[in-house]
Amino acid sequence: MISTNDHAACSGCSLCLLVCPMWRHSRDIALSAHGYAKALQHGASANDIAAELWSCTLCGACDPVCPEQINVTGMILDLRRRLEHVGSTTVRARMESEALRPLAIQHATVKLLPDQALLESPELLSRIAALLGIPVAEDDGADIALAVEAGIIIQPQRMQRFLASWRGLKKIIIADGLLLKHLRQLLPAMNFVSLGEALSTHAVVRRSLRATDLYVIEPRAYHADFHRLVKHYDRLRAESGSAFNLDLQRIAIPATSRSLPQRLGLIAPDDNEQARWVLHGRRISRIVVESLEDRAAFEKITDIRVVHLAELAEDKVCGK
Amino acid sequence: MFKFGDNSPPAANQECRLPYRTFPATFQYPAVEPGTLGPCPVGSDALQGIKRQQTNPSRWKGQGWQDFAAAIRTAGTELREQAAARGTFATDAGGTSYGMPHGVVVARNAGQIADLLRVAQQFQVPVTVRGGGLTTEGESVAFGGVLLDMTGMSRVLHIDTDALTVRTEAGIFWHSLAEELRRSNMDYLSAPLNLTSSVGGTLGVGGIDVNSPRLGCSADQALSLQVVTPTGEIIECSDTKNADLFQRVILGYGQFGVITEATLKIRPYTPLRMHYFYYSSLRTAIEDLQLLDRNDASDYSGILTIMDCAVNLLVAFDTDEREAEFKANWQQRLRGYGEWSFALHMVGRYALRPWKLAEAWYLFQRKRELFPELHRSEYMRDNLMFDRSVVFSRAVWKFWGCKQMVIPDLATSADKFAEAVERGNLVCRKYFPHYTLYLVGIKLRPEHRPHYEMSCIPADAGDWAYGCEFEPMIDGKVYSRDHFQSFKNAIYDIGVDLGGSYYRFGGMMKGYIRRVFGDEVVDRHLAMKRKADPAMILNRDVIF
Ligand SMILES: Cc1cc2nc3c(=O)[nH]c(=O)nc-3n(C[C@H](O)[C@H](O)[C@H](O)COP(=O)(O)OP(=O)(O)OC[C@H]3O[C@@H](n4cnc5c(N)ncnc54)[C@H](O)[C@@H]3O)c2cc1C
Ligand code: SF4
Ligand code: SF4
Repeated sequence: MISTNDHAACSGCSLCLLVCPMWRHSRDIALSAHGYAKALQHGASANDIAAELWSCTLCGACDPVCPEQINVTGMILDLRRRLEHVGSTTVRARMESEALRPLAIQHATVKLLPDQALLESPELLSRIAALLGIPVAEDDGADIALAVEAGIIIQPQRMQRFLASWRGLKKIIIADGLLLKHLRQLLPAMNFVSLGEALSTHAVVRRSLRATDLYVIEPRAYHADFHRLVKHYDRLRAESGSAFNLDLQRIAIPATSRSLPQRLGLIAPDDNEQARWVLHGRRISRIVVESLEDRAAFEKITDIRVVHLAELAEDKVCGK
Repeated sequence: MFKFGDNSPPAANQECRLPYRTFPATFQYPAVEPGTLGPCPVGSDALQGIKRQQTNPSRWKGQGWQDFAAAIRTAGTELREQAAARGTFATDAGGTSYGMPHGVVVARNAGQIADLLRVAQQFQVPVTVRGGGLTTEGESVAFGGVLLDMTGMSRVLHIDTDALTVRTEAGIFWHSLAEELRRSNMDYLSAPLNLTSSVGGTLGVGGIDVNSPRLGCSADQALSLQVVTPTGEIIECSDTKNADLFQRVILGYGQFGVITEATLKIRPYTPLRMHYFYYSSLRTAIEDLQLLDRNDASDYSGILTIMDCAVNLLVAFDTDEREAEFKANWQQRLRGYGEWSFALHMVGRYALRPWKLAEAWYLFQRKRELFPELHRSEYMRDNLMFDRSVVFSRAVWKFWGCKQMVIPDLATSADKFAEAVERGNLVCRKYFPHYTLYLVGIKLRPEHRPHYEMSCIPADAGDWAYGCEFEPMIDGKVYSRDHFQSFKNAIYDIGVDLGGSYYRFGGMMKGYIRRVFGDEVVDRHLAMKRKADPAMILNRDVIF
C-alpha cells in the first residue's frame, strides 16, 4: 500500500540523497527529496522550488529508502500539479488529438503497452510481442505517461479512449515504469506487470543470461514495487551470476538522468555521467538492458555490447 | 611547518581569490566570555524539579552581516539567504536544538572555504560546519551566521588498492564512500552505523562501529587530512606533517579547522559470519563482550538490548578461520543462550511472572519486527551477511529514527563500564517505558594519546574504551523538551561521577565540558582555540 506520509514527516536523515541521481550530479541538498521536504517544512511553495522540482527524474529510488515512508514521488507529482511547465501546452494538445483518433480494438486477455522509445523501434517492439505471445495495445498511452510526469490532469475523454481498448483484459505488461505506478494506483484490481519483469521471467531469456553480463533494471517500475521485485531480481542474480545495476541498498542505479525538460526535448539529455557510474569498476563483457533509453545511454560511452532483454535469445543462438 | 596562531600569508600555491588580511589588532572578544555561562533565560517556574544546564551563552546577533555577504559574493561564492535554503538546516538529527543560519554556503573546494573563513574572521561572522548533521545536541546547528554544507564536497579522489588507502573529499557520506570502494572490492575500516554521517563530521567526533573493538574508531583510520584553518590557510597534516594541527583536528569537534579532504585506510571487502547470543543479564553480557575483546576472539562484537532482560551479544567474523577459532576456543565460554533456548528460557520466566505478560508481549512484537529486518534474504547468502552496514543502519533508521532522536551516551574505561551501563539503565527505566542500549568497545592506539585529550575517549581508558548509547523508544509519544533534557542530564551526570566521557560532548551539553575535563584542560584548549581562531568564528557554540 502506498503511504500517505508527506513532507511534514521528513526527519532529514538524508538516506534519499544516497540514491538520488539528481543529487549525485549536483551535490546540492536542494536538489533532492530531503531538500524538497525541508523547504516545504519551512514555508516554501511549489513555485519557490519549481526549478528543483522539474529537475527530478522521477526514478523513484527515494521512495523505498525513506524510513519515514514518505511517498516522495507522489509528493513531487502533487507539487508539479500546482505548477505550469512550458511544455504542458504541447502535452495537452497531444492528449486532445489522441482522444479524437479512432480506435480499432482487438480482443485479448493480455496486452503490451510500449513506451515512447519502443514505439520508435517497431522491429524490437514486434519481437517482444512475439516473444511474449501477446498483442501490442492499440492505444499506447505515451502521451498520458508524459502528462503524469508533467503533473497535468488527464482529460476524461482521453482516459476514456485509453481504457476503451482494455475491455476483457486480465493483465497488462507495461514498458513505462511511471505509467505503471500511476495505473496501479488508479486501477488496483487490474494485474499490471512491468516489461522488465515479464521478460526476465521468460525461460529463454533467463537461460541466456551469463555471469559476465551486467543486467540493467529499469528503475521506475522496480522502485514502484521494490519489496517484491528485490526478491525477484535476487533470484535472477543467484541463478545467472550476472552483475546488476543495484547499489548496496539494492536500489537500482539509473543509467539515464532525464529531467522533464530533457524528456520533452527542451534541453539535450546528458546521461554520460550517470551511465559511467553504473559501469564504473565493473568487469563485464555484455550489458543487458530492460529499457531502450538505457541502451542509447550506454552505447554513447562504451564499446561493450549492449542488448535488450528481448534480443538475448537471438544473441545466444548467434553465440555473441 | 604550521603553528597555531601563525598569521603569515598563504603560500603562493594555495588557491586564494581574496587579498589576505591579518587579523585587526582592535578585535573585541564576544560580550560573554566563551566557556562561561550566561544567565539562564528560562523562567524558574519552567524548571521545577529539573536540574538544568544553561547552554550557548553567547549568541551572535547578525552584526555586519550585509557587508560580510557582499564581500563573500565578491569572492565568487554563492550565499543562499532564502528561508527554504536556511530552514533545511534548522535542526540536527536530535531535533531538540533549533537555530537558523543567516545564509548557507554549499562547500565546493578548499579555496572557496579558505576565502569564506578569511572574510568571516574579518567580519567576525560565525561559520558552522555541517556534514551529515547527525549530531543530537545541536553541534551542527547554526545559531546565526553561515552554515557551511560540506556534502557539496563528496567525491572520491583516488583509491589505491595496493597501499590500501583512499583519498576522498571529506563531505562524503561513509555509505557513498562504501559504494565507490565496493566497485574495487574494498571497504572502509569502521564507520558509524547510520549511512549518512560524513567522513569529516565523524573524524571530528569519533565514529564507532561493531569492529571498533578490533580496528578502533573511525577517527583513528585517518592517515592524513587537508584542513582549512579558521584563518583560511589550506594545510595538509598527518602524524608526521603538521602533527600539531592533526592532533587537534582529529576528535576536535571542528574547532581547529574544516576538514576538506582525508586519506583513510581501507581493506578488502568481506561478508560476515554472524552469531547472536542472548542474555537476561546486562552485566553477564558485558563481561562476555569484554572477554572476547581482550582475547581478540572475534572481528566484530557489540551488544544491543531489546529490554534489560533481553540482551543480544552480536559476534561476527571476516573469515572461516577466525570463526573456527572462535568456535573451538571461545564459544563454549560464553554464557549467552542461542535463539531457541533463550525463547524457552523467556517462556519459563514469564510463566512464573504472569503479571508481566505485557512485557512479554512487547518483547515478542519487537522480535517479530526486528529479526526479519536483520535476515533479509537479499543480504544473506550461504549464511553470510553481505553489506552489514546497510542491514544495521536501515534497521536503526527504521526502528529508532524519527524527528527527535535523543541518544545520550557514556564512554568509560573497561573496568567502570558495567557500572556505568547499569546506572544508565536505571535512569532509562525511570524516564521511558522502552529503550535500547547499544554497547561497543573501542580499541585505542597508544601513539594517538595526544589526539584523545578532551575527546570522547576517557582519559583513564587503557587499551580499550567502552561506550554505551541510551536510546529511548519514542513510539509516537510526545515528551517535553525538559523531560528529554533531564533524562540526558541524568545520564551525563553518571559520566561526571565516574570520570568518563561521551561520544557527543558538545552543543547543548556544553555545560558538562568543564565538569568532565576540568578547568586546566579546557583552558589550555581554549587558549589554543583563540590562537587558531582569533574571532572564535568556527563552530563557536559547540565546545567553548
Ligand atoms: C541514527 C543515528 C545513528 C548513529 N549511529 C552512530 C554509530 O553507530 N556510531 C557512532 O559513532 N555515531 C553514531 N551516531 C552519531 C553520529 O554518527 C556522529 O555524530 C557522526 O559521525 C557525525 O557525522 P556527521 O557527518 O553527521 O557530522 P555532523 O553532525 O554534521 O557534525 C559533527 C560535528 O563536526 C563538525 N563538522 C562536520 N563536518 C566537518 C568537517 N568537514 N570539518 C570540520 N568539522 C566538521 C560539525 O560542526 C559538528 O560539530 C549516530 C547518530 C544517529 C542520529
Ligand atoms: S525520484 Fe529520483 S531524482 Fe527524484 S528525488 Fe527521488 S531519487 Fe531523486
Ligand atoms: S529519506 Fe525521507 S525522511 Fe529521510 S531526508 Fe529523505 S525524505 Fe526526509
